[in-house]
Amino acid sequence: MSNSFNVIWQNAPQLIYGAKLTLFYSLAVIAISTVLGLIFALLKISHRPVLKKIGEGYVSVFRGLPLLVEIFYVYFALPMILPLHKWFDPYFTPIAGILALSLNESAYITEIIRAGILSINKGQTEAAYSIGMTKYQTMRYIILPQAFKRMIPPIVNQFIQTIKDTSLLSVISISELTRQGQLIISTTFQSLQIWTAVAVLYLVMIYTLTGISGYLERRFKIDKS
Amino acid sequence: MIKVKNVKKSFGKNVVLKDVSLSVKPQEVVVIMGASGSGKSTLLRCLNGLEKVDSGEIYINNVEVTHNKTNLNLVRRETGMVFQHFNLFANLNVLQNITIGPRKVLNEPEEKANKKAMELLKKVGLEEKSTNYPDQLSGGQQQRVAIARALAMDPVVMLFDEPTSALDPEMVGEVLDVMRNLAKEGMTMIVVTHEMGFAREVGDRVIFIDDGLVVEEGPPQEIFTNPTQERTKLFISKIL
Repeated sequence: MSNSFNVIWQNAPQLIYGAKLTLFYSLAVIAISTVLGLIFALLKISHRPVLKKIGEGYVSVFRGLPLLVEIFYVYFALPMILPLHKWFDPYFTPIAGILALSLNESAYITEIIRAGILSINKGQTEAAYSIGMTKYQTMRYIILPQAFKRMIPPIVNQFIQTIKDTSLLSVISISELTRQGQLIISTTFQSLQIWTAVAVLYLVMIYTLTGISGYLERRFKIDKS
Repeated sequence: MIKVKNVKKSFGKNVVLKDVSLSVKPQEVVVIMGASGSGKSTLLRCLNGLEKVDSGEIYINNVEVTHNKTNLNLVRRETGMVFQHFNLFANLNVLQNITIGPRKVLNEPEEKANKKAMELLKKVGLEEKSTNYPDQLSGGQQQRVAIARALAMDPVVMLFDEPTSALDPEMVGEVLDVMRNLAKEGMTMIVVTHEMGFAREVGDRVIFIDDGLVVEEGPPQEIFTNPTQERTKLFISKIL
């Protein structure tokens, strides 16, 4: 038994490489979907019916589909209409992966940001308007800073979900951690050892993120409301 | 200076302002009284466009607030508003609460805005609280900061929406003191309040509103001692 765990050390470089890719995809998707989430949250709370509908439609579609279907759709179905795989060659696979994940995660983040904004007392907005601030200034200097603090716990939750969701990218042969595990097992047949190593690596990444979130929450507590 | 002509406003089926007209002269202190739900707060909120009127016209310094081409942000710079629940910006400290308007709306340099803010804090007696956050202040202190925040924009008129109603009794005095000084300095003020003492002492004119209509108006002594309307009498007998 003890001997058989050597298989982990022998394949450590591939596992670490996979973990790095998982981290890369996670960070890319988190960054993109936070920006998209903010944009669509602002659309959803807009008083203009057209903008509101766009925001609502976006969330219903991309939150309403299984992530796996979205990945297949972007990777296999979209190129049938648009030759994306030619335009972005040789980077189509990573782009498709990031795109599919970002669409899905950003739909959830939209709702988190929207809820955060709506949770801020209306009096804050009125006070900002009363001194002549524009809607943009009110959002930028008064509402979002307060909403951000309240969004930290649910948004970190979503980031954790994102890290785990990158494992689905293995189905379009992106060599992230889960895919690396599968590949190593296909030659070594050491399921127990390799999946244990994979699991530990995921936990380390997620535990680190939780730590950062705890730090952020403590830091922003100074001006609690 | 301020003219309100035939203003009407409903929320759904609830008619809040039936037909209100009034005017306020420069440096005048007008106290608006009336039972809760009579429409006095709504009237005040219509003055700076926080609520849109259904019909009628409101002019502040000859600018029609109710015209849909009017840039409300410009109107609001000139009308300071103090709210019942203070509404200080929770993410900013006292100094930042006061300087954010001058800095972001009037584009004043930080140094100038800070200097003015410290002068205003001195005026409301809170210089030593400049780095505190709103939740570290008492209600009375928060309201005084809110007054300073509104004053920082150099408004031509100050609107007070029940500024002492949410305060503990022992803090009412400190806020009224600040308002009294403001009136002495010649600030034009419209004050919605139930503070009879303040109305009597500081008010140039009392306007009594009931059920969305101006029922009676006149100098405070007259309204409080010799009300002519039945509804005014009833209201005054209740709050005395």
